[in-house]
Amino acid sequence: MTDAKNTSTIVFDRATKIYPGSDAPALDGLSIEVRAGELVCLVGPSGGGKTTALQLVNRLVDLTSGDIRIGDRSITDIPAIELRRTIGYAIQQSGLFPHMTVIDNIGIVPSVLGWEKTRVRDRAHELLELVGLTPVPEWADRYPSQLSGGQQQRVGIARALAADPPVMLMDEPFGALDPITRTTVQDEFLHVQRTVGKTTLFVTHDIDEAIKMGDRIAILKPGGLLAQFDTPEKLLTEPADDFVAEFLGQERGLKRLSLYTLSDLDDLASADATTGRAPWPALPADTTVRNALSLAAAHGAEGVRVLGEDGSPIAAAPLSRLVHLQSEESV
Amino acid sequence: MSGFAPSGDPIIPDYGEVSDCVTNNDFFCTDWFVQQWPSVFWPALLDHILMTVIAIVVGFAIAFTAALVAHRRKWLTAPFSMVTTFLYTLPPLALFQLLVPITGLSLLTVEIALVAFTLVLLFRGVLSGLLAVPDDVKRAARGMGLSSQQVLWRVEMPLAMPSIISGLRIATVLTVSIATIAAFVVDAGLGAPILKAISSPFNTQFIGAGALAVLLAFLLDGILALTGRALTPWTKASR
Repeated sequence: MTDAKNTSTIVFDRATKIYPGSDAPALDGLSIEVRAGELVCLVGPSGGGKTTALQLVNRLVDLTSGDIRIGDRSITDIPAIELRRTIGYAIQQSGLFPHMTVIDNIGIVPSVLGWEKTRVRDRAHELLELVGLTPVPEWADRYPSQLSGGQQQRVGIARALAADPPVMLMDEPFGALDPITRTTVQDEFLHVQRTVGKTTLFVTHDIDEAIKMGDRIAILKPGGLLAQFDTPEKLLTEPADDFVAEFLGQERGLKRLSLYTLSDLDDLASADATTGRAPWPALPADTTVRNALSLAAAHGAEGVRVLGEDGSPIAAAPLSRLVHLQSEESV
Repeated sequence: MSGFAPSGDPIIPDYGEVSDCVTNNDFFCTDWFVQQWPSVFWPALLDHILMTVIAIVVGFAIAFTAALVAHRRKWLTAPFSMVTTFLYTLPPLALFQLLVPITGLSLLTVEIALVAFTLVLLFRGVLSGLLAVPDDVKRAARGMGLSSQQVLWRVEMPLAMPSIISGLRIATVLTVSIATIAAFVVDAGLGAPILKAISSPFNTQFIGAGALAVLLAFLLDGILALTGRALTPWTKASR
C-alpha cells in the first residue's frame, strides 16, 4: 500500500520547456512535488505554461531540460505510450470520440490494454455509476452528441479513470461548462476523488475553481515562472508577491472564507445570543462562512444562527466570528 | 402464344417483324428494347458495371494510400494534389488518344483513364476527412496512450468516413458517366450502343443505353449512401 502510494508521487525537477522557434521559455524551471493522493491545481494567466506543464508529464510535449519523475522513475525512461496508459487524461470539451458510444469511450484504454470484453464492459458500468450517470443502461449506448456538456464531462472523467491509473492529468476539464453545471460536476468530481484518491494535476484558469478543488495550488506567471506553491489558506492569507495578490483579487479575504463552513467554527454562543434589531438568518451547518456573511449582510443582521441536524437553531455566530474564524479565547 | 391461337387462323411467326414504333423511329420502343435486352443491353450493362467497379477499386486503393502518406508527410499534399488535379483536367478523349499507342485498344487503356479521373476526388475525400478530425479528439487519443496506428484506425479513419464515402459517391457517378466514352476504345459498356446509334440514328438504342447509365449511377450512389449510413451510425444519432 505504501509502495503503491509512493509510486504515484509526481516530482517536477527544474522542468523547462522552450518551444522550437521561441526564445522565451513556456515553462521555466518548475520544481514542485505532487504527493501521492494529492490534488494540485495549476493556475495562472494564459501564457503561464500551465497546460505545457501538464502535457510534459504524459510526454505530449517533450522536456527541454530538467526532469519529471513519477514515483522514482524519470518519465523519459518510460516509453511514451506505456507511460500514457498509466496516466488518466481528461481535457476541456471532454475530447470524447464522437463515433463511439459512451461505454466504448470509457473502455478504450482497457481495450487497447487487451482486457477481455466482459471485463471492459463491467468496468465501464462501474464507472458510470461512480460518476452518477445512472441508471447505467440508459446512458451506456448513447453517442456523445446525445449528451449534455456536463454529462460528456462526466464520461470524460470516467474514461480517464478506466484503467485505474495511479495518476490523473486534467486540463481545464470543466472550462466549457455553464456555472451551475460546473458547480455540480466539480462537487461530483471531489466526491469521486475522495473515493479513488488519485494523484491529480488539475489545470484551470479559474482561481475560484482552484481554491475549491486543490489541496495545494501552484500559481504560474507569464514566462512560465512559479509565483507561489501553497495551500489555498496560505495563498489567500499570505500571498508571496503583488502578482499573486492581484491574481487572487481584492476578494481574496472572502475567498478564504469560502474554504470554511459554519461547522468549522467552534465555541459558538448559544442560539438565543443574538443582538441588534434584525433577526439573524438561520443557516445549515454546511453553509460556507462566505455565504453566511453574505446572507447576514442581505438581512442587515449582526450575525447568523446555525441549524442543527434536527433543523432547529443550535448556535449563533456574530459577524466578528465570521470574519475572524477563531474564537476570542483561542486567539 | 401462337400455340393457343384459335384454329383456322394462320400462324404468323414474328421473326424479322418490326413494330410501327421501330419503323417510325419513335422516341422509345419498349418492345424492341425488351427484345434486344438479352443480346445488347444486359451484356453492355454488365461490362459497364465491371469497368466502373474496377476503376473505383483501383482508384481508391491508390488514392487512399496517397492520402495516408500525405497525412503523415504534409509536404507531399501539394504535389499529390497537383498531379491528381492535372489528370482530372485532361479531356477524356484526348487521354484515350494518348494512351492507345501505348496500351492499345484495350480494357487496360480504358481503366488507366478512368482511374486517372477518380484520383483527385478520392484523394481529397480521404485527406480532408482525416484533416477534419478535431484536434482535441486526437490529443485525447494520444494522451491516453493509443499508438499512432491505433489513433489512425480506431479514431481518425472512422471519423473521416463520411468524407471518404462522399468522395466515393461523386467518383462513382463520374466514372459511370465517363465510362460511356470508353466505347471509342473498346466495344463494351453502355457507350457502345450509344456510339452505334449516333452513326445510324435510332432513338431507342441510345435512349435505352443512356437511361441505363443514369439508372446505374443512381443505383451505385444509393448503395454507397446506404453503406455510409451503416458505417457511421453516430452521425444520425439524435438526442
